[in-house]
Amino acid sequence: MFDCDAMRENMPLLLTESLDPVQREQTHQHIETCPICVAEWSAYKETWLILDKLPEVAVPPRVKQRFLAEISPAMAQAMAQTNVVPFRRGRTMRWLAQAAAVVIVGSSAFYAGHRIAPRTQLIPTQAQVTAIQPATPYYSIAESRVLPAASISPQIEGRPDIQNVQFSDASPLNQQIGVSFDITSHVTVTGRPTDKSMVRLLRYVLENEDRESPSRSRAIDWVRATYANVGNPDPEITEALANVLRNDQHQGVRIKAADTLQSMQSAMTDGTRDALVEALKNDPNPAVRLKAVEALAKLARSGVALDPDMVDTLRRKASQNDENVYVRVKAAEALSSIQPR
Amino acid sequence: MKHLNDQELMSIVQAGDFAPASELYDRYSSRIYNFAYRFLRNSEAAEDATQEVFVKMLKHANQFHGGAKLSTWLFSITANHCRDYLRKSENKSKEGEDVLATLPASAELSPERHMERREDEKLIQKALGLLSHDQREAIVLSRYQGLSYAEIAQIAGCSEGAVKTRVFRAMEVLRKALTGDSRGGDRCLTAMP
Ligand SMILES: [Zn+2]
Repeated sequence: MFDCDAMRENMPLLLTESLDPVQREQTHQHIETCPICVAEWSAYKETWLILDKLPEVAVPPRVKQRFLAEISPAMAQAMAQTNVVPFRRGRTMRWLAQAAAVVIVGSSAFYAGHRIAPRTQLIPTQAQVTAIQPATPYYSIAESRVLPAASISPQIEGRPDIQNVQFSDASPLNQQIGVSFDITSHVTVTGRPTDKSMVRLLRYVLENEDRESPSRSRAIDWVRATYANVGNPDPEITEALANVLRNDQHQGVRIKAADTLQSMQSAMTDGTRDALVEALKNDPNPAVRLKAVEALAKLARSGVALDPDMVDTLRRKASQNDENVYVRVKAAEALSSIQPR
Repeated sequence: MKHLNDQELMSIVQAGDFAPASELYDRYSSRIYNFAYRFLRNSEAAEDATQEVFVKMLKHANQFHGGAKLSTWLFSITANHCRDYLRKSENKSKEGEDVLATLPASAELSPERHMERREDEKLIQKALGLLSHDQREAIVLSRYQGLSYAEIAQIAGCSEGAVKTRVFRAMEVLRKALTGDSRGGDRCLTAMP
């Protein structure tokens, strides 16, 4: 009298004891009287029991650590205000912890009236420094801190996940530039463009491979504008740009990097020149190759002695039939301006 | 925090204070992780899913309404995340690639028993892989999370009738895969050990 299929659909519910009494009774009665369904029913029970052999798995503790690391005060504030995209997974933050420790020790007056005051005077030894991080998950609303570049280590440890990078131009008063970002809290590092820690930080911002960050292109623009007025930019800046030229997936960013290198001739190293040659040889995008050959042409005009590989590449490019015509013209131009040795 | 119920903890979060985050995580992470792990069949993806779900819990706290159970709401977020993940990973045909790569070994088992158990687990995971996403979601929530069809319907965004069919179809597939049983009444049943 009952449809077998309907009875079978009830079987999983029978197993979880979630049928109402009437249905339960009907289903049981049917099973007892139907030879097909009685066999089905034992098979279901068996399958249901076998499924029990898949055990509960413990959540690895790192998941909680990562989750708590994401809840930075900056995130809390941002979420309170807007619906911003949350931070990506946090990475090691020892470097900043160290920075924070240095500031706490170096200038406790800095914290006067500050919402989160250090509980104790921390000594910036390695052990103390790493202890700061897990002990202080910042749950509540954002605080912002300003760190002088001189107070942080030029050595960036690990790969801290810095987000939301902003730049401030040189102040007319003291020529200090500023780089702000979110890490465990909102941090601004200020200093002169020539301070090693500032250079390292900019290098890190430029080379940070977070592909979702739209800030790199902006970072290059800003670096270019800032260092246009600095007599001798630190070669680490051009090295960083060279790495962007080598590795960035976005052609627009690579074009900008090559173009900026061209404007920073005085700080070029062998490594940066190699990056330009490599880009001219291998970059799939003709606009990047054009920027690279322009930079090399400018280098040649400035009287810098070009190494044989460079000259050879220019020669091959100038006569390569399937190369973009502008690239060929620029390569020929560069060759013609090489000073006879 | 421990003495506050879910509702009270969530109202603190809704007021913009994330202090209850840790406690809420402790209450639900295991269920969320295990659901994601069985649904995705990939431990790394399940870790990401778990982290993501709790971040979303904070971010979208205002969408949680007092009437609902927090667990149901969290399972909904997890299910959405997992469905998205599976849709994307299918294009890359990566789903389930590292299944069981990191299942923890239970120390108290003998090596033989341990091997045996791993074999069982592998078999079940493989069988779950034969199901459609909808079926897997339904059976995992029903069998492993003990949810009612009404709750599953809410999470999956379908009718209770649809859940019933999904669980039933899933059971059909699993029965064939796990008991070597084919449809019809005239078959030998393998005895349970
Ligand atoms: Zn029947």
